[in-house]
Amino acid sequence: MTGIIDVSQLVKTYGDGTKAVKGISFSVPEGEFFGFLGPNGAGKSTTIKILTTLLRKTSGSASVAGLDVESDAAKIRKIIGVQNQDTTVDEDLTGRENMLLQGELQQMHGQALRDRVDELLKVVDLVDAADKRAGFYSGGMKKRLDLATTLVHNPKILFLDEPTTGLDPQSRASIWAYLKQLNEQGITIFITTQYLEEVDRLCRRLAIVDLGEIVAQGTPSELKQEIGADSISLGLESSTMNTGGTREKAKQVLETKFDQISDIVNSDIGLTVYAKNGSFLVPEIVRAFDEAGIKLSSITVSSPTLDDVFLKHTGKRIRVEEVTSANYRSMFSRRRR
Amino acid sequence: MAFLSDSYNLFVRWMKKVVRNPILIFFSLFQPVIFLVLFTQLFSKFGALLGPGVNYTVFATAGIVLQNAFSSAFQSGTAVVDDIKSGFLTKMLATPVNRSAILFGRILSDIFRVVVQTIIILVLAYALGVFPETGVLGYLIVIFTVAAFGLSWSGISLALGLKTKSAETVFGIAGFLTFPLLFMSTALVSTSAMPNWMQTVSNYNPISFAVNAIRNAITGCPVGHLASNCTTGFDWSTILQAYGVIALIGVLTLGATLYLFRKIVS
Repeated sequence: MTGIIDVSQLVKTYGDGTKAVKGISFSVPEGEFFGFLGPNGAGKSTTIKILTTLLRKTSGSASVAGLDVESDAAKIRKIIGVQNQDTTVDEDLTGRENMLLQGELQQMHGQALRDRVDELLKVVDLVDAADKRAGFYSGGMKKRLDLATTLVHNPKILFLDEPTTGLDPQSRASIWAYLKQLNEQGITIFITTQYLEEVDRLCRRLAIVDLGEIVAQGTPSELKQEIGADSISLGLESSTMNTGGTREKAKQVLETKFDQISDIVNSDIGLTVYAKNGSFLVPEIVRAFDEAGIKLSSITVSSPTLDDVFLKHTGKRIRVEEVTSANYRSMFSRRRR
Repeated sequence: MAFLSDSYNLFVRWMKKVVRNPILIFFSLFQPVIFLVLFTQLFSKFGALLGPGVNYTVFATAGIVLQNAFSSAFQSGTAVVDDIKSGFLTKMLATPVNRSAILFGRILSDIFRVVVQTIIILVLAYALGVFPETGVLGYLIVIFTVAAFGLSWSGISLALGLKTKSAETVFGIAGFLTFPLLFMSTALVSTSAMPNWMQTVSNYNPISFAVNAIRNAITGCPVGHLASNCTTGFDWSTILQAYGVIALIGVLTLGATLYLFRKIVS
């Protein structure tokens, strides 16, 4: 493999026996905008920590820009920018001081560093707030500052672990816009996120991990085509869905009566059915359920999205937005630590 | 080079953090004042108990300088815990920053603070009539001894902070250690006023060694001689013993700190 990031049979077992990563392999070519997706606890952060030299691997190999993550760790740190899941700016320092400090730690000094910081302050739109303490910044400003501190030394590769989680849609959009710009300038971006629409729009390739293994990888359109069908989301009555056996019964009806259905997956609200020309199927499904005495609370047809890809491969939805009463409980249990 | 410039930059970071927290400044500057005024006033008649004509303010200055250094040294560990918790340490570790400089920058800022506090105490003590009989060199020896003492003891709090990752634990242990170590030493009372068993403890208490050296620089009297001014001058064996003990503690605690830190950063 000759990617800028090469991972082969990577395994991480923690001291307590937890197998966070179970032999994953992937390669990211230079200049890629690469999405690394998965439910919580899938092994995303562990993989990022190994690639950014913050954690030792158990076995397998991983290299960044042709450098081994363990023997060449010091060299890797000079060419990567890392943004952690938590926003980590020093709130007692001003925005500018935060950036200058990161630059100094990257062995940049003097006028060159000051010019670079000025330039970046413009890019992340923090010029006016540059000399205020970061403690007074809003959440979106802190994230932008955090991102800027990872860029001071002109990294070749940017590792971002959920850079937009917890931000309002507007701040999120501006962060993604910066990332797009950076990628167009040739920086390779490796990102984990929960926002699939943005992944769909911006990531050229992505990998989905679940339980420490890669379950799918490819371009967004490849992955969506793989599903090869529209998705029909069926909402079942929540009171009898699991305990009353309604879901099982509905599945049986679908399996026996419709041979054009390619896949049936459990969803938070009931079932998601994949079939070609989904909209033609809707009246027939409604009729069949009516005959079988199964009550439908909702039915929606859509062409496949990354969300469907994610659901198909992990059995879980990733969305954090669009809370409905039917799935809000499961959403809370999925919140990040 | 990276070690020096990284240490310097992180030292500056800590200093800015202190300066920008008025409450922190207030306490770190007033703590020594309160110690000095409160203790010497509270025990002003105590000198007569130690021996005829003993000036307690002169006697206690050495102990208070050290007590202040002792309690300041325990703040190093809590600061490092904050950096671990916030993720700032992780962020630094993803850069080529010199690993030892992360600790050294913090320790430098602690030493700087202790030296400033010590100077405040000495200025205030001067106003109360306490000054080293051994002259300017005496001042330098007091300050240097306190700095070395602070360095070696900050290692304990750093090691505790890195091991437990809990600021509460560091504070708890500091509070637990302060009283027995300080009161069973020559910091505030001479051994002659202690019961026998406590004299033995005091003789082996590392705090006593440092206090004796500082007191010798202030009074010019040999250990155990409680007068405020002697012509004997420096008692080099006392001073060297103090440095021996400080060095031993420093090697142990900073060694443990480096070991624990390596485990975190690897």
